[in-house]
Amino acid sequence: MRTRKLIAALAFAGASMLAAAAHADNYEIDGQHAWVTFTIKHGIYGVAHGQFDGVKGSIVMDKADVTKSSVKAELDVGSIHTAFDQRDSDLKGPDFFNAAEFPTISFESTKVEKIDDKSGKVTGNLTISGVSKEVTLDVKLLNEAQAPWDATLTKAAFSASGKVSTADFPMAKAAQGFGLGPEVDIVIDLEAVKK
Amino acid sequence: MSSLLGNPMVTTAALPLLLGIVLALLARFVPPAASLVLTLLWAALLLFFYRNTLGPPVMPPVAASQKLIYLAFAGIAVGLLPERILRQPKGVVAILALAAAFLWLGWRRLAAGSLDLQMIAALAVAALTLTGAAMLTARRSSPSSSAEEPFLAPAAVLALSISGAIVSVLGASIVTGQLLGSIAALTGGWCLVQYVAVLRGGAAAPWSTGVDFLMLYAAATILMQVALLAPKANPVALILSSLPPIVVVLMRGRLQSLLPGTRPLRPLIAGILIAIPAMLAIVTAIVWAPHGAALGFS
Repeated sequence: MRTRKLIAALAFAGASMLAAAAHADNYEIDGQHAWVTFTIKHGIYGVAHGQFDGVKGSIVMDKADVTKSSVKAELDVGSIHTAFDQRDSDLKGPDFFNAAEFPTISFESTKVEKIDDKSGKVTGNLTISGVSKEVTLDVKLLNEAQAPWDATLTKAAFSASGKVSTADFPMAKAAQGFGLGPEVDIVIDLEAVKK
Repeated sequence: MSSLLGNPMVTTAALPLLLGIVLALLARFVPPAASLVLTLLWAALLLFFYRNTLGPPVMPPVAASQKLIYLAFAGIAVGLLPERILRQPKGVVAILALAAAFLWLGWRRLAAGSLDLQMIAALAVAALTLTGAAMLTARRSSPSSSAEEPFLAPAAVLALSISGAIVSVLGASIVTGQLLGSIAALTGGWCLVQYVAVLRGGAAAPWSTGVDFLMLYAAATILMQVALLAPKANPVALILSSLPPIVVVLMRGRLQSLLPGTRPLRPLIAGILIAIPAMLAIVTAIVWAPHGAALGFS
């Protein structure tokens, strides 16, 4: 009798876990619809803007328990642009993003917190030039819907923002020398395709 | 004081020049037996400029720029080895130390396996600095007493550093440019005082074997990093910048027979000859600089 109860309890627990897992959806970041932008104070003057184009990565979104969601993303340092070629090549150089040695920037979430049904906080390790720092992004789920022109295509759109400091990464001395930052505001808007 | 140390013109030129002069004046009053003290003073000044330019050491070092200060420590440690070890006949110590530095700084680039123009230039810079340093440090244990002899190693470091600094800055690697500039100014201050001593009929104080090594090692490893990681740095200028130590080896002893009676002029002529590849490097870097200079954020 006791064994039957145990088996029933295990079966229930297993079914619950499977149900929970069933809520976790996998998405792939749509690089053609991803905008990773940043702004940074430029010396005594104004604010400089920049953007990375080469974005790829994956998102696991658990709607039943958002805290079980996760994000992994990678940016191609070579895709940086700031509306001035010379500055772009300087930013790829050894004093800033050091693309020759570290061609990518990566982010991997370690914690997801729920604020409400559409927003949360995603904390993770941002790795720039081989140095990892914990960063928290405020994330909003803007929408998730089937494409009107393709019933097999479902996309989710997210918007995220956060702050990092140049002082945390090897570019600190160069940024200081040029009077940049140290705070960098990041704004990310991206769409992800449900797999 | 901190704002003064934050001014790149002070830390890259004025302060190291002044400290080089002070060190040279000190050397004139310190007996040769205290050369270890002078070597330690050179090491301390070198580390001060690394710390001031690159920031405090990061543990563990990940990026090549974070490894430079550890390489400076390594160069100092090797420079403090007994002279009989440093002066191995074939410069084995210099070859091993510089080859290890190149592999450590560039392993990510080497592992990527791409043999582009930048990598070819980096390999050439490594091979030439390694050869030059090996030949320079492996010189005979009783150097000639010619007027130019005490200036040869400092002139090689000065020429390599000053051209490396300019090539680096024009190649959008400002921080390494500043660091090489500090080494050039420090060495320049030393040379200035020693040359005034020669003009006044005295003799110039030579660098100890340890200082020869640690200064050459510091300048060579920074130049290697520029060659490995600054894609905008002119590859031909980088290769030319690495030649002064080889020129020293090629001209050692020859000036004495070519210009026998012109004792005060010989250090100057030697310096100019050693600086020829460096001057060509600077001209090349300026003429072919992308957009003139690396000042995209100015």
